[in-house]
Amino acid sequence: MESFTPLTAALGGSLIGLAAAVLWLGNGRIAGISGIFGQLLPPAQTVVWRLVFLAALVLGAWGTSRLFPAVGVGGVEPAALVPPPATWGVPPPVWLIVAGLLIGFGTKIGNGCTSGHGVCGLARLSLRSLVAVLVFFGVAIITVTVTGIV
Amino acid sequence: MAVLRPPYLATAALSGLLFGAGLYVSQMVDPLKVLRFLDFTAIPSGGWDPSLAFVIVPAILVMFIAVRIGRGRSAPLFDKEFHEPEYKRIDTRLVGGAALFGIGWGMSGICPGPAIALIAFPPDGVWLFLAALVVGSYAGSLIVPSGHAKRLVDAK
Repeated sequence: MESFTPLTAALGGSLIGLAAAVLWLGNGRIAGISGIFGQLLPPAQTVVWRLVFLAALVLGAWGTSRLFPAVGVGGVEPAALVPPPATWGVPPPVWLIVAGLLIGFGTKIGNGCTSGHGVCGLARLSLRSLVAVLVFFGVAIITVTVTGIV
Repeated sequence: MAVLRPPYLATAALSGLLFGAGLYVSQMVDPLKVLRFLDFTAIPSGGWDPSLAFVIVPAILVMFIAVRIGRGRSAPLFDKEFHEPEYKRIDTRLVGGAALFGIGWGMSGICPGPAIALIAFPPDGVWLFLAALVVGSYAGSLIVPSGHAKRLVDAK
């Protein structure tokens, strides 16, 4: 439990909730990152605010990392990506590409990720989002168990 | 055009800033920390990190209040309507998509928000990962019906 950080987690979570609240009450939009990101292609009229949001997200992460370096990213910054399980013999780039493809494809056809279904969908009491959340958390937990990646 | 007015874009910027700050402060930009939550095999030994639950629950609560406030209003501040998600059906695409996302998330510990936030302090391999994310998302868009009317027909 040494890595358990409930206070910064709750503070960060509240900021994420506030971000979603601002976008919803201001612009009537769901702060679902896969949706904001995925609908850059093909470019629509909404491409401008989507790019502004994503650029600001990067800036927000960068700015807080400069203001509060002590929070750290797992104590080391920059955060490292996690290599594939050694016994599987899969080259790290291949592992990353497969993971990225699955996440991009899955969130597109499933219409959402941790933010859109997880934060916004559950807050809207959407049954669809509840199903999605249970499935992706369940499958992710099974995946981590099977691969033994941690 | 509402979506190009300064207050609208400023709102998008403020939301993005808060989101990125929240991801950093909560350390959800750290893939290993996310994987340590997903690793339920560590529960018996006491090595499990429940932090992610302490991130998502307050986030949902804050947004829940905002949704309640929104229900009492006819429109958001800077647009003509709330863009409620149109899909209602629980179908194979939803469940299959969520399952594929779950596999990728469990392999990497990176969901789309942190994937973007990591650009702020890019670790080795993150650009390759993001490129794959774009390609995967584009591939998905080829099988999802496009266009508002078609989507709505499909959603019911």
